[in-house]
Amino acid sequence: MSEEMKNTGVFICTSCGIKNCVDTSALAKIAEGSVKFGNCIEGVNLCHPGGLEVIEKSILDGKLSKILIAACSPRVKTEEFSFNPDILVERVNLREHVVGSHEAGDEDTLMLAEDMMRMGLAKLANSSIPIPFIPEEISNEILVLGAGITGITAAIDGARAGYKVLLVEKKEQAGGWLQELYKQIPSSPPWSKPQNPVLGQALESLKKQENISLYTGTEILEISGQPGAFWVRMNHAGQEKSVLVGAIVLATGWEPYDPSGLEPFGYSNQPDVITSLELELMAGNGGFNRPSNGKPVKNVLFVQCAGSRDKDHLPYCSSVCCGTSLKQAQYIREAHPDANVFIIYKDIRMPGMSENYYLEVQKDSRIFLTKGEVSGIISEENQLIVNVRDSLVHSNMDISVDLVVLAVGMTPRDSMDLKLAYRQGPGLPTLKYEFPDSHFICFPYETRRTGIYAAGAVRAPLSISESIEDAGGAMLKAIQCLEATKRGEAVHPRSGDQSYPELYMQRCTDCKRCTEECPFGAYDETEKGTPLPNPSRCRRCGICMGSCPERIISFKDFSIQAVSAMIKAVEVPDEFEEKPRVLAFVCENDAYPAFDMAGMKGLKYSPFVRIIPVRCIGSVNKVWISDALSRGFDGIMQIGCKPGDDYQCHFIQGSELTETRGENLQETLQTMMLEPERIRTEFIEIDEYDKIPDLINDYMEEIENIGPNPFKDL
Amino acid sequence: MGMDTTLRIKPDIEFIEFLKKDSGSDLSICMQCGSCTAVCDLSPEENPFPRKEMIWASWGLRDRLMADEDIWLCHHCGDCSTTCPRDVRPADVMASLRSYSYRHFARPRFLGKWLQSPKYLPLLILFPVLIIAGIIALAGTLKIPEGPVDYSHFFPHGWLNGSFSILVLILFGAMLGSVRRFFLGLKAHGSRLREKNGGLIKRVWKIFIQKDFKSCTTNRYRYIGHYMVFGGFVMLLVVTLFAILATIFFEYPMPFFHPVKIAGNLAGLSLAAGIIFLAINRFKNPSGSKAGQYTDWFFLVNLFLLSISGGIVELARFMDWTPWAYYLYFLHLVLVWLVVLYLPYTKFAHVIFRTLAMLK
Repeated sequence: MSEEMKNTGVFICTSCGIKNCVDTSALAKIAEGSVKFGNCIEGVNLCHPGGLEVIEKSILDGKLSKILIAACSPRVKTEEFSFNPDILVERVNLREHVVGSHEAGDEDTLMLAEDMMRMGLAKLANSSIPIPFIPEEISNEILVLGAGITGITAAIDGARAGYKVLLVEKKEQAGGWLQELYKQIPSSPPWSKPQNPVLGQALESLKKQENISLYTGTEILEISGQPGAFWVRMNHAGQEKSVLVGAIVLATGWEPYDPSGLEPFGYSNQPDVITSLELELMAGNGGFNRPSNGKPVKNVLFVQCAGSRDKDHLPYCSSVCCGTSLKQAQYIREAHPDANVFIIYKDIRMPGMSENYYLEVQKDSRIFLTKGEVSGIISEENQLIVNVRDSLVHSNMDISVDLVVLAVGMTPRDSMDLKLAYRQGPGLPTLKYEFPDSHFICFPYETRRTGIYAAGAVRAPLSISESIEDAGGAMLKAIQCLEATKRGEAVHPRSGDQSYPELYMQRCTDCKRCTEECPFGAYDETEKGTPLPNPSRCRRCGICMGSCPERIISFKDFSIQAVSAMIKAVEVPDEFEEKPRVLAFVCENDAYPAFDMAGMKGLKYSPFVRIIPVRCIGSVNKVWISDALSRGFDGIMQIGCKPGDDYQCHFIQGSELTETRGENLQETLQTMMLEPERIRTEFIEIDEYDKIPDLINDYMEEIENIGPNPFKDL
Repeated sequence: MGMDTTLRIKPDIEFIEFLKKDSGSDLSICMQCGSCTAVCDLSPEENPFPRKEMIWASWGLRDRLMADEDIWLCHHCGDCSTTCPRDVRPADVMASLRSYSYRHFARPRFLGKWLQSPKYLPLLILFPVLIIAGIIALAGTLKIPEGPVDYSHFFPHGWLNGSFSILVLILFGAMLGSVRRFFLGLKAHGSRLREKNGGLIKRVWKIFIQKDFKSCTTNRYRYIGHYMVFGGFVMLLVVTLFAILATIFFEYPMPFFHPVKIAGNLAGLSLAAGIIFLAINRFKNPSGSKAGQYTDWFFLVNLFLLSISGGIVELARFMDWTPWAYYLYFLHLVLVWLVVLYLPYTKFAHVIFRTLAMLK
C-alpha cells in the first residue's frame, strides 16, 4: 500500500444493474491491497441512506481522506456523494459508461470496468484537496462604467442589494442617450402613443441612493488587478483618483451606425436625408424643418434596416429601429395632419408586446407601410424622389417626399474604454457581430474578462426596457462574482470550483503559450515574458495546462501527473487482433454528458475505448498523447464541444485551440513514425448522443485497418 | 402586367376613406401577409390577388386599382375574409372596389354621386317617373282607362316597346363608354388582360354554368342563389324579346298557359327567390358583407321589387283590379327604368365588366 493511498476508501455500488453487468467482486479485488478499504456494498443502493451510512462510518473509522465511488456518472448524485469538505471524492462511472453501453457479462466489459477502477485510483493517488486562492485585499465596491439608463439602473440595483457602487460617466451629465430622446416607444398599454422617457424617474431614485458615488466627466485611465481587487485609476475633473473595486459592470452603451457608406441613400450629399437620431433631436428642438431650406417638413419616408441585416454593413437586427420609426411617424403625423408617412421595411420587427404598438400605429390611414428595397434617392424640383424596388406595392415605384429618415442600427461602444492593464489588451474580446458577450445564450452578461459584466446596448442591441432588465442581471452577476471570489471559488461555468492552476515556475521557459492562449486573459506577464497568474480571473478550464510544453501547470485535483498516471494504469493487452485499445479525452461540458445520455439510452459502442474526462478539450496536454502512444494505445480520440460562430465550447476557444494544436500533434506522430490517423479530433453537441456509437465504431474500424501500435510490445 | 414601369405613388386619402366606409373594413391594419391570396381558389398563380389590391387600397392607389382586371375575377366568396388574421375582410374591399369602379367609369359623373347616398333617392326615382309620364302623355293616354284591364290602353305597345328599346340601347351605349375607359386605363398603366384558359366556347360555358361561384369554399351555396337570379334574368330577357315580337306579329297579351308565359312567370319567381336567398345569405354568413354598400342594395332591392311587381301586375290584370292595376303597372315601369337607367353605375354593370374580364 503506497503512502498516498493509505487513507483511501473504495466503495462499489451493486445497484442500478451494475452487479448484473460486471463481477463487482473482481472490481473490489483491484482495490484490495492497494487501499485501506475496498468495499462492495451489497443489497443497498450506495446513494441511499443505508449506503451513505456505510461510507460515512468508514470515513470516520478509517480516518479516510480520499474515497473512490464506483457507481453512477459524476454528473448525478453530487449532493449525496459530497461529504466533509476535507474528503476528496473521485467517481467511477460504471452505470452510464459500462452498464448502459456495453454487453452484460462480457469479458471485454469487465476489462473496461477494471481499467476504469484503476484509472480512478490512479487519479485519486495523484490528486489532493484544492486550497482556495483568495486575494489579500478584497473590495466590496462595484464599478459601473457608463451612466446611461443601463448604468444608472445597475447602480441602483447594486446599492439596493447592499453594495457600494462607483458610477462613472465620461460625459458631464448622467443620462446617456435618453437625454436626447423626445419620447420613447410605449412599453405598456394602451400602446397608442409614445411615452415620456423614463430617465427622470431613474435620476430621481439615483439621487436617493447613498451607496452610490457618481463621478461624471470622469475618464478611466487604467484598470488592473483581478476580481475582488481591481485597481481603477481615473481622471475626475483633472484630478487623478485611484479606487479599489471588486467587480465591474460595463454599461457604456451604443452608437448609431454611420450610414455614409450606404450607396443608395446619399446620406453624405443629400441634406434632407437624415438618421433617426437626427430626427429625434429635431423633435426635441420643437419642429421638423428641412435641413436644405428650413421649410416645414410634410411628407416623410423612413428607410428601415438602413445598413442593418446586410452582410456588408451591420449583419444583425438592432430590434429597436422599427419601433423608433413608428414612433417618429407619429411625431410627423401629429405635426402635420395631412402629412403622408411612408415606411419601407425588410420586415417589421416589434419584439414581444411592442407588437401592440405596431397595430395601433397602423390604424392611421396616412402611414403607409410596405416591404421593399430603397434603391436610390434623387433630388428633383425641391423634392426627394425615392425609388423603391421589389416592394409588395409595385416592383418599381417612386415616392416623392420632403425628408428621408434612415433608421440606422446600434453598434456597441468600444470596450477599449475599460483600459485594462491586461497582457491580452485593454478591451474585451468580441464575439459574433463585435459584441463583447462571452456566450449569447448560456451565459448572458459574461464577457471574456472574469469579473467584468456587460449590460445594455454594449452587450447586445436592446430597447430601453430590455436594458433596464439587463442592468439588474449584470449587477447580480457582478455580485455573484464578488462573493465567489471572497470564497476563492470560480464563478462560472465551474461555479464553486476552488482549484486553480499552479505553476512550477523553476521550469518555466517564458514561452508565453499560457499567457497567449488563456481565453480569459488570466495571465499577465513580465517584460521578459514570465507568466504572472491572476487566479481570480481564472475560470479553471485548464487550457493553460494543455498549452504548456514544459508541463508545469496543474491543478491540485486535475494535473498532468494524475492524467499520465491514469493512462499508465490502463492494462493494454499485448495481442492486438482481439483487443485494440483507444484512449478518448472527452470534454466534461457537452461531450461527456452526451456519452452519459448514450448510456442511459442503452446505445452500445466498442468496449475497447477508455474515457478520460477533461475540463475542456483545450486542457489536453501533448504529453498525455505521447504517454498513451508509448503505453501502446492504438488510437487517441479528442472529443470536444462544437466550435465556430454558434460555438458551444464553455471556454470559448478550447475546441478551436485543439484544432490548431492538432498540427503540432501530427509532428509528434511523425517523430514517432506513426500514422496520422492515430489521433482523431471530433466535436459533438450535447444532444448528439445518438451519434456516439457511429463515432466510436467508425474510428475502431479505422484503427483495425491501420493495425496495432508498434510500441505495444516495448 | 406592366410591372417594370415605374409607379409614381400619390395616395388618394379620400379614396381610402371611401373604401373604409363602404366596405366597413379597416384596411389600414392589413399587414400584407397574403393569407387572402393563399386561400383564394380563383386567384391565378401569376400576379395573384387580392393581396396586391389590399395593399394598393391601403396606399390609396386609386388609378392603379381602376386599371386592374382582377377585381372582376373575384366572386366575393369570402374565403379570404374568413382567413384574414387581422379581420380586414378583403372580399368586402374587393366588392367596394367594384362598386367604386362602376361610378368611376360611368358618365355623367353626377349620377354616380347621386347613387352613392340615400339622400338623392327621391331624385333618382323622380327622374324615371317624369320621363315615363311624359312618354305616356305624348302617346295621349295619360289617364286610367275604362273597362277590363288592358295595359296597352294605358301605355300603347308601340310607345312602350319603342321607348324602352331606345333606353336599353342608350344605356348599353353608355356601358360601352365605361368599358372603353376601363381599357384605356389598362393601356395607360401598360397592363394587358390576363391570358385566359381554354377557348371562347369553353369560357362562355364556364360563365353559363357559373363555375367560379362553385369554387367558393366559405360561401358554398351562394351560387344556387346567384344562379336563380342569373337564370331568371336571362330567361326574362328572352321572354321579353318574344313579347315584343308578339305585340307586333302575334296575339298579346298571351294566355296564362302559353309556354312562353309560363317560362316568364317561372323566371320571375326564380329571380325573386334568388334575391331572397342571396340576401339571407348575406345576413347570415359570418363572412358576408357587414358594410352599408348602399349602391349594391339599391340595385338588389330594385331588382327584387321589379320581379315581385311584375307578378302582381300580371295578377292585377287577371283579377281586373281597376284602377290599382294601372298604378301598379306604372310603379313596375318605374322599377324597370330604375334598374336599366342606372345600369352603368350599379352592381348591374358587373354583368358587363365581369363577363368581359372572363371572356377577353
